[in-house]
Amino acid sequence: MEFHKITCKDVMNHICDNLGEDLDSPKCREIKNHLEECDCCRTYRSSIDSTIKLYKEYNVEVNDDIHKRLMEFIENNTKP
Amino acid sequence: MEEKELIEKAQSGNRQALSELIKNYEQTVYNFSFKICRNKERAENTMQETFLSMVKSLNQFSGNSKLSTWLYTVVSNHCLMLARSQKKYEYTPIEDDDALIDEKDVTDWSVSPERVAENNELKALLDDAISHLEPEYRVVFLLRDVEGLSTEETADIVKLSVPAVKSRLHRARAFLRNELNKSLKYGIS
Ligand SMILES: [Zn+2]
Repeated sequence: MEFHKITCKDVMNHICDNLGEDLDSPKCREIKNHLEECDCCRTYRSSIDSTIKLYKEYNVEVNDDIHKRLMEFIENNTKP
Repeated sequence: MEEKELIEKAQSGNRQALSELIKNYEQTVYNFSFKICRNKERAENTMQETFLSMVKSLNQFSGNSKLSTWLYTVVSNHCLMLARSQKKYEYTPIEDDDALIDEKDVTDWSVSPERVAENNELKALLDDAISHLEPEYRVVFLLRDVEGLSTEETADIVKLSVPAVKSRLHRARAFLRNELNKSLKYGIS
């Protein structure tokens, strides 16, 4: 069976489906080849990567007050 | 002390073991709650309720399952419940799968994710984008991509099949990327 020529849209869909997964089918190899040659799809891939990284880097921390309120909350609600 | 041992001690009423368990997980639970709720007050409330349920049901907890998985489940359910009580129109419904990817709208962002911590403009952008994403999709994206759980663990927590998780993940990634692209394609200070 012969594959139709893949389009940028196919590749972008594939990126969203299988980010970071190293699959090894004829289709995947075709996608890898496409990525090497296509700036647009590489840019798309990097924007998906950045999206994930941005949400990973945006964190909040439990400070002493929050910790204290948590322990008091547990204490007050578990009294026999 | 091993987690299993801590749980056993806490089950038999040892308060110190219980505090240690809470201390071990409070950061994860609070941060994850915040990432779903995008609001510090609601995140704190979710964290408190989550640990209270943990304390109350500690005796039913078997050593076979991971405590972290259990905590992620409680937080997810709590936040989804909160979200369902809110009005639906706040979210942008994902109707057309095909329209999520527009190959003509691809631009270089030149944004450095490491700078999020000090960039309030970027934080506001991230909060805004994800708050338009339906909570059912948000949870999947956060568990799988941000917290780094496996697809199987994620499926377990949200009670969906693995293919359903993958399909939600696909949509969530494309959706968030599009939302961010609206602003980031012009660059950010
Ligand atoms: Zn392409």
